[in-house]
Amino acid sequence: MNKNKYLLLISSLGCLALLLVAAAQENIFKPWRRIQSAARAEAGPIEVKLRQIVVPGLRTADRCVTCHVGMAPGESGVTGPKVVAAHKRMPHDPADFGCTVCHAGQSYATEKADAHGDVPHWPSPMIPAKYAYAGCGSCHTHVRVPNTTALERGRLVFQRLDCYACHRVDGRGGTLRVGGAHGMEGPDLSSAGATGYDPRWYEKHLAKSEWKNLFGPINAADRADLAVFLDSHVGAPGLVEAKALFHSLGCRGCHKVNGVGGDDGPDLTRAGQRDPALTDFSRVTGERTLENWHKQHLRDPARIVPGSAMPAMGLTDEQIEQLTFYIFSLRHSNFPEAYWPKDRIRAERFGEREFATDGATLYTTFCAACHGANGEGRRYPGMPLFPAVGNPDFLAVASDEFLAQAITRGRPGRRMPAWGEKEGGLRPEEISAVVQHLRRLGGPAEPDTKPSRWAQGDVAAGKKLYAVNCAGCHGADGKGGEALALNNAGLLAAASDTYLFKTIERGRRGTAMPGFTQASTVHPALSPEEIEALVSFIRTWEKR
Amino acid sequence: MDTGLQTKSALREFADNLWHAPRRIAETMFRSGKPNTDRTRSTFVFGNVFLHLHPARTHRWSLRWCTTWGVGILCGASFLITLVTGVLLMFYYKPYPDVAYQSIKDIHFVVPTGQFIRNIHRWAANLMVIGVFLHMARVFYTAAYRAPREFNWLIGMGLFIVTLALSFTGYLLPWDQLAYWAITIGANIAQSPREITDALGITDKFDIGGLQRQLLLGSDVVGEEALIRFYLLHVMILPLALAMLMAVHFWRIRKDGGLARPDDADQRLGPPPGDTYPVFTEAPQKTYQLAAVVKGRTPAVGRGPENTVPTMPHLFYAELGVFMLTILICLGLAIWMDAPLKELANPNVPENPAKAPWYFLGLQELVSYSAFMGGVGIPMIVLIGLGLIPYLDREKTGTGEWFGGPGGGRLVASSAAFGLAAVLAVEVFAIRFGWLREWFPGIPQLVITFINPGTLIAAIYALYSLRVVRRFNSVRAGALALFTCFLCGFVVLTIVGTYFRGPNWHFYWSPADWPMH
Repeated sequence: MNKNKYLLLISSLGCLALLLVAAAQENIFKPWRRIQSAARAEAGPIEVKLRQIVVPGLRTADRCVTCHVGMAPGESGVTGPKVVAAHKRMPHDPADFGCTVCHAGQSYATEKADAHGDVPHWPSPMIPAKYAYAGCGSCHTHVRVPNTTALERGRLVFQRLDCYACHRVDGRGGTLRVGGAHGMEGPDLSSAGATGYDPRWYEKHLAKSEWKNLFGPINAADRADLAVFLDSHVGAPGLVEAKALFHSLGCRGCHKVNGVGGDDGPDLTRAGQRDPALTDFSRVTGERTLENWHKQHLRDPARIVPGSAMPAMGLTDEQIEQLTFYIFSLRHSNFPEAYWPKDRIRAERFGEREFATDGATLYTTFCAACHGANGEGRRYPGMPLFPAVGNPDFLAVASDEFLAQAITRGRPGRRMPAWGEKEGGLRPEEISAVVQHLRRLGGPAEPDTKPSRWAQGDVAAGKKLYAVNCAGCHGADGKGGEALALNNAGLLAAASDTYLFKTIERGRRGTAMPGFTQASTVHPALSPEEIEALVSFIRTWEKR
Repeated sequence: MDTGLQTKSALREFADNLWHAPRRIAETMFRSGKPNTDRTRSTFVFGNVFLHLHPARTHRWSLRWCTTWGVGILCGASFLITLVTGVLLMFYYKPYPDVAYQSIKDIHFVVPTGQFIRNIHRWAANLMVIGVFLHMARVFYTAAYRAPREFNWLIGMGLFIVTLALSFTGYLLPWDQLAYWAITIGANIAQSPREITDALGITDKFDIGGLQRQLLLGSDVVGEEALIRFYLLHVMILPLALAMLMAVHFWRIRKDGGLARPDDADQRLGPPPGDTYPVFTEAPQKTYQLAAVVKGRTPAVGRGPENTVPTMPHLFYAELGVFMLTILICLGLAIWMDAPLKELANPNVPENPAKAPWYFLGLQELVSYSAFMGGVGIPMIVLIGLGLIPYLDREKTGTGEWFGGPGGGRLVASSAAFGLAAVLAVEVFAIRFGWLREWFPGIPQLVITFINPGTLIAAIYALYSLRVVRRFNSVRAGALALFTCFLCGFVVLTIVGTYFRGPNWHFYWSPADWPMH
């Protein structure tokens, strides 16, 4: 009996003690309570309570402002610990959008690690602070972003024309008016690309004689470059530049983003929303963060993802930094359309392109990774050679139709994918812009008046010649080896007999393909009849 | 009314009554006034709700801690705790996919003490499952299922099943990945009779497995129908069923003469302590038979109550003590460890491994060999076997004693050793060398259904206990051996399933060795 009484007594006292502990945890030791107790507004201490921004349209309730009190709508002049500081100036009112829409993290949470998503079982941790502008990618899809070369040209023009004298861009440049009144001489252009600017700015500038004497006039080419520069300034420093780099390295040759791009690599439309729990960090050195994963993966993909088909691209640290930033911005969140910004509407409802559609940008965006930034071709370890499409000998014999067809249909069975609208997503006018760009790289095609099929050579003789002269590189039955596959249906459909004839005749400078009109140490000179026979023999693969 | 006799005005009386109201409220709490005389004290005992459930006097044998270790009360106490915390959670929980998950997050982060309450609920639920296992083992090992308590053993099995069902249905409610895939596994186990019907080629006509799954989920997949179903079962149907079964269970304990005790319990306990009051010196003469109400005699009749003590307060303190201890355990666990909540349920991202709740992982381990045998066959055999125990073991020796019966503790120990060795040997063999499917890829599934590690273990145990029956010439001895073996098998398989199975149900020494996707 006494034993049971003591059991009851001790258990009850234990329960009481634990309840007191729980009450203290709940009411005293919550970090946000201490933060709010330490914070002061202008009128004195602030009320200690849970705070949240509810955005019914986005179905979010962001409790971040429970600690970040100064960022809550309507709060001003809150002082205290660093965490209660106000948000820096930005175009979006937190009252309308909340926090997690841009920054990600766990909106429900009221404790730091949970809220920042640094806990297991939360699929979208906060975007690292230094890539904070990547959050724009949740909604925004910056359109017509050119490659780095074009962007750099714009920046240089802006600099050369001394626009910084009056205008401030990303915290640089601009002068105060004399006496300091009425602000800067010219408006801040840091987000001109997002807010828009007067298209008649040049005429208006010209009208001011002072400006015209000091800075004007500006020629049309420079004005076009300035437009590129202004469009790229959307209030998210570095983000458009990072996207431009993505459009310079040819990443879209293998990766689709929003439906346009190759199929060899994973679709990157939502690569920034990668779930750490589904990411293998076992080969990542250092801290197991997504940032480290992306950076080490970009440096050497196969080391982080064994068996990855992605080659090491030989990127610089700076490029890796930019690409990591861009990958974090590939978020494409599913918000109601009412919340979509203009650029996303333009891109996804009106068919406007995320990349600039000039030939140079199209070429670097889709082709550069394999064919080289200037069409010089590339070789990656463990992969067959990628042809030098900028080779003048090639371009001299390849007609525009041949090039356009090769791009549209690709080379079935080979690495070259089809880029037509249904497959890779490129439109006919974009493909012809790429063809024009190739012409700028390697010169025009020679006029060809013959029909596409004219060779009437002796197939049997051609077969013998092929075995002796060609099979060593192109394979015994034309299936390719060190050199291209000649039995490829796509190639044979697009190539005219003239193309084949002249290629054999002249060879291709800068590659292993010799010209056969002159003898060399390894092959005799071939007569035009013999070459015609070879062409006819190669054609036999087409009929099968 | 004679106004002359009225000494006070009505207004005055009103004021007086108001003044005395608190005292009178306190007095009327006791139906026969404050228990300050012998008479009112005894009426207090007669009208007491606690004593309504219990006999007025309790045998001292039942009050020994080692008689039961309080696990039965632990089950009841955890049920009450889950009931109270569950009702509190219902104020915030919203049973709809995705919204359910958000509401759990809200409970976690912003509902005052919400996380604490949820933790208590979760721990009490687990404690209840453990308690039910322990309680069943206690009743078995003290042979307390014997006459006249056979039927209460069956009711206890009903409570066992309802407890597991309650825990299982609660598992889905948070609507996170853990919940979603555990229930998917559970639903697939419900569908496992298909293994037989498929093998016989009659699934188109007679799809009992598919029907079970449909009944459970209300749909082909775990979705909103399943959630509503599980919610309704969890908060209404199963608790009601459990409460009703509990009422019968408790009532039968009293009517069956309290807890089982050996015939010589009185001699073993010795004379009652000197301060026991009142002491009965004679056996009561009255029987219900004389009253011509019932046939036969109730178990309490004809026995001297020398070794009984008043239930109030002796048993009252004991039960309340265990009750508070249960709360203490739950509170401690709730402060120490949070209830898990994984990512929002995502049908497109399967958990690998997807694991059922821990108490089903032993079965899931068997399911990995044969879904039907692990999910339906062996559990049915075990349940039927357990249900038949009181009707097969009609012996008398050892009732009310731990490991009572021929063989006793030594037999239980050797059976435990054998049971562990057998299950470990079969598991090690199957993990190391694979099973029939790995050796003969073309083998019909029906063969594996009947010859797999699960059935093999069960057969070894059955043969072993048959041998024990012959050796001791006692059914009780065989039952002791079989029950002990199955208990060992359950524990080992559960531990293997919980700690040593990784993606694709492969064996791993630790989750650190699991390969990533």
